[in-house]
Amino acid sequence: MITVQDLHKTYGDRSVLSAVNLCFPSGQLTSLVGPNGAGKTTLLMMLARLLKPTRGDIRLDGSQVTRIPISEYAKQVATLRQTPEFNLRLTVEELVAFGRFPYSRGTLTRHDHRVIDDALSFLSLTTLRGAYLHELSGGQRQMAFLAMTIAQQTDYLLLDEPLNNLDIKHAVQIMQALRRLCDEHGRTVILVVHDINFAANYSDYIVAMKDGAVHCDGNVSDVITERRLSELYGLKFDIAHNERGYLCNYFKPSGNLE
Amino acid sequence: MTIKASHTVWAAVIALALAFVFVRSGFDFEYVIPKRLERLATMVIGGICVAWSAITFQSLTGNRILTPAIMGYEAVYLLFQTLLMLMLGTHSLMVLGEHGNAALSILLMLGYSWTLHRWLFRDDRDNVYFLLLVGLVLTMVITTFTQFVQLKMSPGEFSILMGYSQATFGNANATQLLYATLIVATICLVGLKSLPMLDVLLLGREQAISLGIDYRRCVQRQLFLIAALVAVSTSLLGPTAFMGIFVANTAYALAGTYRHRVTLPLGCAIAIALFILAQLLVEHLFNYTTTVGILVNLVCGAYFLSLMVRKRGAA
Ligand SMILES: Nc1ncnc2c1ncn2[C@@H]1O[C@H](COP(=O)(O)OP(=O)(O)OP(=O)(O)O)[C@@H](O)[C@H]1O
Ligand SMILES: [Mg+2]
Repeated sequence: MITVQDLHKTYGDRSVLSAVNLCFPSGQLTSLVGPNGAGKTTLLMMLARLLKPTRGDIRLDGSQVTRIPISEYAKQVATLRQTPEFNLRLTVEELVAFGRFPYSRGTLTRHDHRVIDDALSFLSLTTLRGAYLHELSGGQRQMAFLAMTIAQQTDYLLLDEPLNNLDIKHAVQIMQALRRLCDEHGRTVILVVHDINFAANYSDYIVAMKDGAVHCDGNVSDVITERRLSELYGLKFDIAHNERGYLCNYFKPSGNLE
Repeated sequence: MTIKASHTVWAAVIALALAFVFVRSGFDFEYVIPKRLERLATMVIGGICVAWSAITFQSLTGNRILTPAIMGYEAVYLLFQTLLMLMLGTHSLMVLGEHGNAALSILLMLGYSWTLHRWLFRDDRDNVYFLLLVGLVLTMVITTFTQFVQLKMSPGEFSILMGYSQATFGNANATQLLYATLIVATICLVGLKSLPMLDVLLLGREQAISLGIDYRRCVQRQLFLIAALVAVSTSLLGPTAFMGIFVANTAYALAGTYRHRVTLPLGCAIAIALFILAQLLVEHLFNYTTTVGILVNLVCGAYFLSLMVRKRGAA
């Protein structure tokens, strides 16, 4: 379980995250939602240890993350950033193989190859394994990066907007894959997602952030209410809830936005 | 493709080396050939230093048009030579003894890089762009100062000094070569273990940390190895400036893989081959009317352009 206590982040004298206290439940899928600039990425990057908190405490299964060597941390927590980008000539398979680095330190074993194959087929990427990344579409590349993260075989996955660039079918595929990671493999997934409907339909737990603080958090039924979402985004919501799940309609607000 | 390319390049290195040692030597094992072997050793060590430091530096910075020269190591060397010349005049060689200059140059460059890295990595900074910016500014300041000092020199001293600012292979002697070999071999042995880490660094800082690399320590260590390699090669054969760019990019193009296990040795072979080729041309075709530095840039530039044209879109 990852817990966060009194977490602050300031740049100069500008505070972008303040007094965040959270507890991310194990084996469940947590969504971070909220408007642009709310501090979602900042929070996630501090969990990933890519950013140092100004103040506060992050604990993984009870021990302070700063006490864990980074090489060990990579075997427990895998991170996919918002816009992974580089100009390297790599095939999908070579990229996914990097996910094994924390274990293999560069020399792949037979077990590593099996894990790579599994990660590729888990996301139905097997046919693309030999393709070069720069020749893929943005969505396919996003899938390849996700496969690398999965090949890292960590208990925790931190994903910043993994649905970026994906068409609706691929987005559904990814969310289903993440659900399976939680339900069948017992992984803990924490992701930033902008599409409130995906968050509502696939999460166990939702953290809504606004202006560098936690606006509200709780189970889906606690957070996905017309009042809460209106406060969060400053938009009017109509929420329908039936046996197929939630449908949050905010597309055509009457009157002008403030 | 990979295997073939590196075999071809190494075969070329051996052929060139044999040609260099024996062509028009009169098989004079007393003087000509030992002297040539010394120069050959200088070129081999220099080639390894240039290629290894350039490729590693490019991987650290994620930039393929840089060499460690941007950090100002070579600028410090030139400033030191200039100051020596100013203070001791043309006697500087005699005052410092045979090895004094080389040893002092190495120490000075290492001291400079150590101070610079210490300062750059104080508290929590690990921003490579900041490092490059500081390096570039320092290089410009030091170079300007050097030029300022050079204005105060006599034409004779100045022309000797010019000799120091271009790559040449005739200056090193056997003892220096022995020490250089020892240093470079140690660095390469240490460096070999971290080749997979360099592969991961190609993915960028964030991804590398996510994959469990202690980024700050890794970069600091690699920078130190780079500084040591540059110091050795600069003290042996003088500044090579931007030759590393050609060597590294040719190696990437020929290797067809990102793996340092392949690109680093290939780069070394290319650099050595180039040095020998340029030296052969200088000695036998141009009769010393041109310099190795000029030829190297010419040959690399032409070859690299042709590679680009042939593989357009693929590279
Ligand atoms: N390096 C930085 N220096 C100064 N301010 C920063 C820096 N990085 C982020 N911020 C600020 O922190 C705030 C939170 O940014 P963050 O990236 O966490 O937002 P976010 O919730 O992920 O937004 P988005 O949905 O657009 O990705 C923003 O106001 C941003 O301007
Ligand atoms: Mg963000």
